[in-house]
Amino acid sequence: MPQLGESIAEATIVDIKVKPGDEVAVDQEIIDVETNKAVMGVTTPCKGKIEKITAQLKETYPIGSVLGYVEASEADAARFKKQAPPPQTVAEEIPARADQEVKPARQEKVAARDGDGARPGGLPVPATLKGASFVSPRVRARMAELQLTPADLAAITGTGAGNRVTIKDLENFLHKIDSQSVKEASAIRAGVADAMRRSWTRPLSTVGSSVNLDPVLQDRQSRDTKPGPGLYATRALALALAESPTAAAKLIGNRVVQSNSIDVGVAVEAEDGIMVPVIRNAEKTSLADLVKKYQELVDLARKRRISPDMQAGGIATVSNFGTFGVEWGTPIPLPDQTLLLGLGAGKKVPSWDETKKEFVPKTEAQITLSFDHRSIDGGGAARLLKRVIELLEEPSKL
Amino acid sequence: MSITYLEAIREAQARLLRDDERVFIYGQDVGGTFGGAFKATKGLAKEFPNRVLNTPISEDAIVGTAIGAAIKGMRPIVEMQFADFSSTALNQILNHAGTHYWRTNIPVPITIRLPSGGTKGSGPFHSQSMESIYAHYPGLIVMTPATVEDAYTMLIDAVAIDDPVVYCEHKYLYYHLKADKLPDKGLPTGRARIAREGRDLTIVTYSAMVQESLAVAGELARENLEIEVVDLRTVKPLDTDTVLASVARTGRLLCVGESFPWGGATAEVIARVTSEGFHLLDAAPVRINAKDTPIPYHPNLWSAHRPGAKMIAAKARALLKE
Repeated sequence: MPQLGESIAEATIVDIKVKPGDEVAVDQEIIDVETNKAVMGVTTPCKGKIEKITAQLKETYPIGSVLGYVEASEADAARFKKQAPPPQTVAEEIPARADQEVKPARQEKVAARDGDGARPGGLPVPATLKGASFVSPRVRARMAELQLTPADLAAITGTGAGNRVTIKDLENFLHKIDSQSVKEASAIRAGVADAMRRSWTRPLSTVGSSVNLDPVLQDRQSRDTKPGPGLYATRALALALAESPTAAAKLIGNRVVQSNSIDVGVAVEAEDGIMVPVIRNAEKTSLADLVKKYQELVDLARKRRISPDMQAGGIATVSNFGTFGVEWGTPIPLPDQTLLLGLGAGKKVPSWDETKKEFVPKTEAQITLSFDHRSIDGGGAARLLKRVIELLEEPSKL
Repeated sequence: MSITYLEAIREAQARLLRDDERVFIYGQDVGGTFGGAFKATKGLAKEFPNRVLNTPISEDAIVGTAIGAAIKGMRPIVEMQFADFSSTALNQILNHAGTHYWRTNIPVPITIRLPSGGTKGSGPFHSQSMESIYAHYPGLIVMTPATVEDAYTMLIDAVAIDDPVVYCEHKYLYYHLKADKLPDKGLPTGRARIAREGRDLTIVTYSAMVQESLAVAGELARENLEIEVVDLRTVKPLDTDTVLASVARTGRLLCVGESFPWGGATAEVIARVTSEGFHLLDAAPVRINAKDTPIPYHPNLWSAHRPGAKMIAAKARALLKE
């Protein structure tokens, strides 16, 4: 079994195109194998006659296993030997082993492979066996030393038992990284990464709808402070949550925890990361005051003067990613919050007007609500989002 | 020249008797022309008159007498006919020899030779391995030599040590194991030995099981599996550093001992590695011991009761797949 690609450890025989006695040319495709990436052909190493094919259809073999033998002239064989690829196998010298410790369910499969060779650094084990997600104490200790998390290991294809990541895999991976350009992550980048990773341990889901932004844009003209659509959304979310505060409750163990105040975070892009300062009692803060508060917080965030206290304690967050020109997204709630409201960019669309019986122009935006599905269901999230949309379409009340 | 494990023990005693007039040998039928049940003292009574002494059949009295002689400055070597019989002398060994220095500041430099371990057809009273019992108690050093060379130098070290030493010699190795010549000096007492280097799995073992484990390591090498074999040499003191260093190299630990499975030397090794070196492990450590029943007479039952190369190989392969 040749090396079929960098991260390929084994392949399954899907077709054998020759039989013993067939004359073959050099580099002739004689066996088709399937990996998790593609079907590929195994070619003859040199010209000669097929002596026997030991590989079985539908069986999976690790890289370096013997699949069969080609009878070749000494000259051809000598030429091939010089070109032999590195993962040399000594499989033909290994007698089949009677492994008494293998459980009966596994026995057949393991026995089928036993004669075919041990791959370097590990034994051939079917990928379906336990262990693929197992991290040994040794690998765990090395990860702790390097401050790595399981998410960092996602890029490594394990070569150990049951495809688990071995210490060798980890060291090889780290070695490869060193040949690329590497710099320390900033504290804020590391902080965002940590928060997102922790948040992603939860079952997150998103609902979305379109919202007519024209009322907001008109209302905005009538206000001196010219609040942005993101702040209208913040205000609308705060009022909607004040009406049904259980929507933002958190589940901790078997307990439902609900905050005493409606504190809403607003996502602010800072250099190399995101900060989420919190507006306290947002439902009691007028839109005009929100503008002032928001501007102060943005200034502080840009200067990186937002203290941890100012980012703590929110029950939901608003992300106005529409300012980047994108129409929709599925933002991830902060790890200590259940909800995140995302507002996309507004765009003029033709909208059917039932009374006029014609299409009329309308500024429409997509609004999405991501939620922790442990705490709230699709229906609850949809009702909250619908209420936010209603409020946004009657902005004079905000 | 070829010398067996048993001959090495006799040579060591001859050298001790020759070099140090405080040394004498004390045991059942060790003197006269008989030379002990296994002939470990054959010829010594003639060469060293009045220093190779027969005793009554009372292990308790033998050890008690030897302790008294040691307190008075002698260096007695006590031979038990079988390790199993030393249980009759437990009170003298554990409560007197083991505690004397700590109570009085007067050392008790006795060496108790225990012909240990199983041989075919020997049954429950002539096959036991007692090292774990003695290692459990403070004040004793417990030696378990696995090679001809160690059998020789460790017995010489045992007599030189001021603490009481329980020297467990394995009967299975008496005639099987041979060496070309005897060294003058071995590793220091309490230092384990890397009997074979490897990178995939550490087998920690001692006494006859070292030989079984080395056979397994040779067998698995043909499958590209590199087994490191650590020979503890003394189960007490236990060389935790060497064991941890080996596990750091391999990430996998298999402990093999011939004694009964409840507690004991193998359990102690695993306890130390898991508490001090948990971060070194790629898989849960595995332990192989005899079965938890009295040792059977019938050769087939005995073979199944005692850990052997076949079982060690199977467990090693399974552990490498973990």
